[in-house]
Amino acid sequence: MDFEDKTAIVTGGAKGIGRGIALELARRGSNVVIADLDEEAAREVVAEIKSGGSQSYYCETDVTQQWSTDDMIEVTIEEFGHVDVLVNNAGVGGASGFTTRKTPSVEDWQATFDVNVYGIVNGTQSVESYMVERGYGKIVNIASVAGRGGRPGFATYAASKAAAINVSQAWAFKLAPHGINVNTVCPGLIWTPLWESIAERRKSTGQPSTGLTPRQIFQQTVSELVPLGREQTADDVGNAVAFLASDRASSITGQALNVDGGIRQN
Amino acid sequence: MNFKGQVAVVTGGATGIGRAIALKLADKGASVMIADINEEAAAQTAAEVKEVSGKSAVFVTDVTDLEACNGLVEATTELLGAVDILVNNAGIAGSAGWQTRSYSTEEDWKQTYQVNVIGMSNITAAFQPQMIKKRSGRIVNIASIAGREGRPSLPHYSASKAAVISLTQSIALELARFNITMNAICPGLLWTPMWEQIGDRYAYDMPAYEGMNPREVFDAMIAEKIPMQKEQTPEDIADTVAFFVSDDAKNITGQALNVDGGFFMR
Repeated sequence: MDFEDKTAIVTGGAKGIGRGIALELARRGSNVVIADLDEEAAREVVAEIKSGGSQSYYCETDVTQQWSTDDMIEVTIEEFGHVDVLVNNAGVGGASGFTTRKTPSVEDWQATFDVNVYGIVNGTQSVESYMVERGYGKIVNIASVAGRGGRPGFATYAASKAAAINVSQAWAFKLAPHGINVNTVCPGLIWTPLWESIAERRKSTGQPSTGLTPRQIFQQTVSELVPLGREQTADDVGNAVAFLASDRASSITGQALNVDGGIRQN
Repeated sequence: MNFKGQVAVVTGGATGIGRAIALKLADKGASVMIADINEEAAAQTAAEVKEVSGKSAVFVTDVTDLEACNGLVEATTELLGAVDILVNNAGIAGSAGWQTRSYSTEEDWKQTYQVNVIGMSNITAAFQPQMIKKRSGRIVNIASIAGREGRPSLPHYSASKAAVISLTQSIALELARFNITMNAICPGLLWTPMWEQIGDRYAYDMPAYEGMNPREVFDAMIAEKIPMQKEQTPEDIADTVAFFVSDDAKNITGQALNVDGGFFMR
């Protein structure tokens, strides 16, 4: 197994895509730290991983605070002895109440950048010197296919995800001479709590999907946009992360891989 | 990751990157057809594959000849079964003597396009009816980082590889509704017989490399261009092929992934 005796941290690992990533890494033998603010959901993932035979630990983490991601690395090393993989997955769609705003507020821009961009920067800055010293490390950042090109409607989120791809490249360059890989996965359409709130926003802001449930809005979007004709899953993203975080991908760095059924081509 | 019971075809599978891909797929259980113009080397690789997975065959194939491509389909089906995995790897870097010219001749342009692009289209066209019928299939095309951006000295080769990426995107969209994925891999700098020729060309053509032997040119390029400061290997490419053709990548299509130590970040 690729991740036997390895330790991975997944930020935002309690729910949605992060949960899928955590479970896939655990299935491949990794110890997994669930770094999240939602303790209840995180503890459920921890229990699920443990029942599958891998080790797991919950670390309360606010990725917008450097002290908190510093603490996350420290706690992980105390608990498992080392950190091999950091998956910067935590993300938001806006500030609280964004699903009811047609035009994003300043707070929406701020919250999106705080979590989706600075969250990656904070996590990476907290672990990079440790990984450099050890001469080993894999960082995988979760962006979005929304970050591959501008579109009307959700510019806050899309711009933050474009920035996520860009900061990944910056750290990929910086850490490459030390043998540390930094890559990005750009998920397409995945039915998660985040997508549910995106659909709710479309509904409540009168976009042309009134009368449909959030799930129906999602399914309609899938049939319009996805060449392979089906939704992607958190497992798909987990599998791509597991590849990029493995030694099988040791010559891949600075890349962003779309896991999107062909929505956008790179 | 397990390809037991699956049938793979690797064009240009006798040597270099193609051989590593064939052995990797065999290692995961696939039967592998070695389609190559070099019968002797193909037979040797097929013998190695047989030792690993038990089943292999050789078909002498000129990918520029559509009839030969159809013959390959017949032979594969008869000897190993209907194809599940197609790896379009066959490629050339110019017409005879190209490495000691300082310009690209019409023959360089024609032959490179004929093998690298039209050959890939021929093989894909020949195999796709089987995949469409089964409503499943995985195709991986080997492009090159040379196809990502213009560079001096190899315009015919770079253009052909850019065309491979474009072909991948178009055909991926055509085949998506049949549950067939097509992706491209862009290898970086690998020390293969082809790169030995490229090294000759650079030494002949570019002042910066004057008087160097091909290996010295190769090492100088790595020092200048590869953030990870290491050459890539056929094994790196084979591992990425194995990922794309596995179930783990079932929702990835139309992508080109650089395996290049960070040469180009996309």
